[in-house]
Amino acid sequence: MDVRAHISMVFHLDKCIGCHTCSVSCKHTWTDRPGAEYMWWNNVETKPGTGYPTLWEDQLNYKGGWVLDKNRELKLRSQDKTDFFPKLFYNPNQPGLDDYYEPWTYRYQDLFDAPLSKDQPTAIPVSQITGEPIHIEAGPNWDDDLSGSPLYAENDPNFQSLTPDEKEMLFSVERISMMYLPRICNHCANPSCVASCPSGALYKRGEDGIVLVNQDKCRGWRACVTACPYKKVYYNWKTGKSEKCILCYPRVETGQPPACFHTCVGRIRYMGAMLYDAERIEEAMKAPQEGLVEAQRSVLLDPCDPEVIAQAQKNGISPGWIESAQRSPVFKYVCEWKLALPLHPEFRTLPMLYYVPPLLPVMGRSESNIYEHDADTVFTSIDKARLPMKYLAMLFSAGNIEPVREAMKKLLAVRFFQRSSTLGDIEPDRLKKILRDAGISEAQAQAIYALTALPGPEDRFMMPPIQREESIEGTSCSPDKCKGTCGLGKTEHPQRGL
Amino acid sequence: MFDQFLFVGLPYVAILSLVVGSVVRYKIRAFSYSSLSTQFLEDRWLAWASMPWHIGIIIILLGHILAFSVPGLWSALVSVPVFLFSVEALGVLAAVLSLLGLVILLIRRFVDARLQAVTSHLDVVVLLILIFQVSTGLAVALHHRWGAAWAPGALGPYIHSIFLLQPDASFVKEMPPFVKLHIASAWVLIMFFPFTRLVHALSVPLHYFVRSPQKVVWSSSRAQVRFEEKIQFDNEKRLFLKAAVGAGASAALLSLGVLDKFFRYFLKQDLTNAEESHILSQKLQRLKQSAAERELELERMNKDSIFVARLSELSSTRGKYFIDYQMRPALAFRDEGGLPILISAKCTHLGCTVGQDLDGQGRILCPCHISYFDIKTGQPSPGSPAKSPLPHLGWALKDEQGNLLMSQDPGGRREGAIGPSQTEKGLLFIVKRFS
Repeated sequence: MDVRAHISMVFHLDKCIGCHTCSVSCKHTWTDRPGAEYMWWNNVETKPGTGYPTLWEDQLNYKGGWVLDKNRELKLRSQDKTDFFPKLFYNPNQPGLDDYYEPWTYRYQDLFDAPLSKDQPTAIPVSQITGEPIHIEAGPNWDDDLSGSPLYAENDPNFQSLTPDEKEMLFSVERISMMYLPRICNHCANPSCVASCPSGALYKRGEDGIVLVNQDKCRGWRACVTACPYKKVYYNWKTGKSEKCILCYPRVETGQPPACFHTCVGRIRYMGAMLYDAERIEEAMKAPQEGLVEAQRSVLLDPCDPEVIAQAQKNGISPGWIESAQRSPVFKYVCEWKLALPLHPEFRTLPMLYYVPPLLPVMGRSESNIYEHDADTVFTSIDKARLPMKYLAMLFSAGNIEPVREAMKKLLAVRFFQRSSTLGDIEPDRLKKILRDAGISEAQAQAIYALTALPGPEDRFMMPPIQREESIEGTSCSPDKCKGTCGLGKTEHPQRGL
Repeated sequence: MFDQFLFVGLPYVAILSLVVGSVVRYKIRAFSYSSLSTQFLEDRWLAWASMPWHIGIIIILLGHILAFSVPGLWSALVSVPVFLFSVEALGVLAAVLSLLGLVILLIRRFVDARLQAVTSHLDVVVLLILIFQVSTGLAVALHHRWGAAWAPGALGPYIHSIFLLQPDASFVKEMPPFVKLHIASAWVLIMFFPFTRLVHALSVPLHYFVRSPQKVVWSSSRAQVRFEEKIQFDNEKRLFLKAAVGAGASAALLSLGVLDKFFRYFLKQDLTNAEESHILSQKLQRLKQSAAERELELERMNKDSIFVARLSELSSTRGKYFIDYQMRPALAFRDEGGLPILISAKCTHLGCTVGQDLDGQGRILCPCHISYFDIKTGQPSPGSPAKSPLPHLGWALKDEQGNLLMSQDPGGRREGAIGPSQTEKGLLFIVKRFS
């Protein structure tokens, strides 16, 4: 057992209101620079939809992530040792600017300089790359809230397992439904971007698992952009280097949650330490597709298990980190309650960001202004939900419906539990049956409710203790030598080379 | 003087600039090392530009490096006609590919608005130098064919002289203009290399082939305690690997020479008597040849004049080969007046030996690239690849007793005279003071 610590995350999708505050705070903090205008290290997508960059989930086109080869060994879908070399010169699978969008601004000065005339002066849009006027054809969140649109939602790659009837049903006006999917870098435990980097510029920090790009080592070969199946590594067209979400490590190192976590209006984001067994990663990621969620959970370790604690101490993980892991909301959501699921585990990168799938609006009917819902068929209503379970399974469990249904059952059971405790209109026996069927106890239901609906920042962010001092103290080589300059903490002006 | 600057001064400036420039830039501005790919902004044309350019130039560079670093092996290889033909064809194809790629690269820089946002003046300059370099290379290949065969012999010594710190521009002075341009602009390119985007060629990620997939960097002391052993082990392994690669490479180089003998030893064990004697006689012949060469050299060092032929033996249509004081081939003819004409037989183009037969217009032919030379003036015919004349040699005529009858210096000034009766008996010599 090789116990390592990781900062991991949970996004509770039921609480996401799609306000994009996270995206904006990230943009203002990190990507408001020339060359990075088009980058959204944090973005919020409407699902069903095509996402950003367009159709990023379609790995037949972008060729990201890992696959199992004929001998059932893990191998990169592309960019491995056999094919990376010619792709240095031209990479057929790399997304181009038009797959994201051309960033633009407006000629505001025209508003002031326009001569007196009968018409209102206008500020025309100009490209932030060429400076020329552009006709805007795409932008960030271009398909925002456009579920049901034949142009965007219908092309969602996750529909491939749905029958045409199911699709038609999903898009019939009465049933149109959508959810928001906020995405940042997953800081995977088996990152394909790191594995694909020809220069060895991408690396994972051993202490907290944050994945970074060493800007001094990056040579702009762009393999990571292709290899990351989530398309969360971006190419800076101005500096000729790749950049990605750095999980606001300067904040994390001082005990603060990242900017997008901190500003989240819906308070959907949870962060905490997680212990995992690095030795088991490879074996787990070779699991058959339907077992991937379970395999991924098996890599994560119970931080209260004395054996795990002993091993963790032996590996030099500090007591503060172990304590943070024990109290981590992430461990509760992912392992204890099994509510949170990884996004697209079939990419086999072992993402360390987990999503609680959205429970759909309560299915009921209103008769003569009295709202009714049929409690007997409570669990069948999950299967008849407006967003088909199959679709959610494509997103969160590699097509296997079981883990999603299990999570949904629990979420719904908590809802009934809460109804019973506030309204008292559910018989105790029925409530017990519902809870038993969902596989949770009353105490757990109470805890889930508390952590979902009532948490303060100290409950959501179980930040492990400071690492910066720890990392500098007593190191045998200086950090800038060992780590290189990482992320954006640069002393040299990031100017485009000649 | 200008040649000295281009082919002796410039190379050292260029090499110094390459080494110092690249290292200093890497040390103080590592961030600026990047391929600066523009595929993100424009990828429709790039596939047709970057791919042919890179593939073409890699083939060409490998060819240049092989030909000039192991000229012996290379010459042995190109002496097989099939190999020579394929190498020439492949080289020209690769040059055309890379030129095509460069031109598209240049055009797209000007046509695409997005690309102009990232195009610096230096990008254009680099592309123009590269286009010039590849064009002159292509011109040499097409105009002076079989470069794979002649270049290692003709230019190899120059390259070696540079690297052995005994620069000798005389090897390139006589070269045709295309070759000189190609060499000079190569040095210019090398000089500018570390200050341009070309530095990305120094970071070709070959280590990716041997790297383990994941990379984890630890910085805290506590984690380090645990990983120190592993890191140390890795370092040792790496050192060992480096040493092994180094030793392996040098062993491979050594074995290139040894293998030749080695294989012969094992493969040709059951030689018949006849074969063995054939090989032996060939060996003997080679020894004799080289002994004869040494003798000739010695003779030329010691003697003031050397016998070429009896005047009566000379013909006016078919020259007689002999070796001049510089150990170069030369030809002896007889003119209408019965007096000798001595002319160098080393082509002024790329140094082939000129043929001995006169054509109808009194010219001799260099078979390598079809240069005709008039033997009276030495001048090449218009349109020949060779541009400078073959020099004449001075001579002296003596009688049987060794008395000097007549002489002519390389400039054509004569001393003394002989009557027609004496021409038949005259002995032709070349003279040290004339050479």
